[in-house]
Amino acid sequence: MDEEGNITRRRALIAGGAVLAFGSGVAYIGSRSGASGQHYVPDTTHAGSGTTGFDVDLDGRPIAGERDAPIDIYYWTDYLCPFCKQFETETLPELGREHLDTGDARLAVLPYPNIGEYSTPAAVWGRCVWSQVADSDPDAFWNWHAAAFAEQPESGTDWADDEMFAAVTEQTAGVDLSAVETCREERGATIRERIEPNVAMAQESRIQGTPGFVLYNRDSGAAGKLVGAHPYENFADAIDQVRRA
Amino acid sequence: MTGGPATASRDWTRDLRDALGYPLTSDARLLSAAVVALATYVILVLSSFPQFSVQVLSTDPTDIGYAVTALTREVYLTTGYLGLALVATYAVLAGVAVTNALALVQRARRRSVSTIVGVLPGLLAAGCASCGAGVLGALGFVGAMAALPFDGNLLRVGGIALLLFFLGRAGDPQTCSLDGGGRA
Repeated sequence: MDEEGNITRRRALIAGGAVLAFGSGVAYIGSRSGASGQHYVPDTTHAGSGTTGFDVDLDGRPIAGERDAPIDIYYWTDYLCPFCKQFETETLPELGREHLDTGDARLAVLPYPNIGEYSTPAAVWGRCVWSQVADSDPDAFWNWHAAAFAEQPESGTDWADDEMFAAVTEQTAGVDLSAVETCREERGATIRERIEPNVAMAQESRIQGTPGFVLYNRDSGAAGKLVGAHPYENFADAIDQVRRA
Repeated sequence: MTGGPATASRDWTRDLRDALGYPLTSDARLLSAAVVALATYVILVLSSFPQFSVQVLSTDPTDIGYAVTALTREVYLTTGYLGLALVATYAVLAGVAVTNALALVQRARRRSVSTIVGVLPGLLAAGCASCGAGVLGALGFVGAMAALPFDGNLLRVGGIALLLFFLGRAGDPQTCSLDGGGRA
């Protein structure tokens, strides 16, 4: 029993090293910044109309991609959700280039406020910015959308307030802050009410967190669900499956 | 049970030190503590957004690395370094607790004493690895922990305190005695 049963220096060093490696590995993975670069601005953007076969109300919502694309992607999101930011920066650009700009699919941005107190006001900001630029300069909405996500700090939800969103709006070219403020005051309550039915649709599809996606084949009526910031490959597979279903 | 609270606390600290050192007493124990710690970390992190984890793993189980790194980042972004450090600490302590609990179970079996009472704290401590930091994720919301006081860190601290308490109470499983903290 020379080594067995005793705390040896070798084992103590191995354990210490392993704990240190584990801790620093976790810290590294946690804090490294996600892939970014240019944010995604779709080639074409349009305002939705009517209710789809999946019972999602698209009236006046921002939609990336062609109006007649065969696959609908309903994207429930929250400007306060870090996981949504991960989708926006790491997956959306490739998804956009490969499937939205090619006419395979279109992606509708739908609010699902669930993270913090300011989630709903943030969703109203987004809707008002879109209303203001939908006809004149739809790209400005995507610039604003990416800038809002980019404001997410390293941690927490305290960053989100009127002041921060006003600053983002003011700094986004093509968006008129005063028009957006007027919209928030005059239409805020209506916008909040109109968020509810689509959130209920997401919940009915058992989407319990953001980002949440339903992929819907507009011809066959087949649908699939993805929850969370999946890698691009999973989206490509899912689109393929729904297209063939 | 003689001695005041100071003695009891000194005993507990010494027992805790013995308990934490136990996995260092053999290569197999060290390995089992490491494996359990790693597995606990993976489970805790994946349970912070179970729907996503299940979907990623059922699409391609080899994507577990992606799921763990994505959700590690998510835990950091939601709760900061403190939250991440607490989850990692939790995992390491769970590794120690499970290793010690296994030793207690073996010992109990060998001696055939009614030591289940002595084994329980260790098992509870190990079982609690899934109750403090992870279980709220089962509600399905990544933000569920964020809605709690201090972004859920209070709960994590509570879980760690519970683990430490049980570890200290059980002491070194090789020498643990059942009659009120005395040592064999």
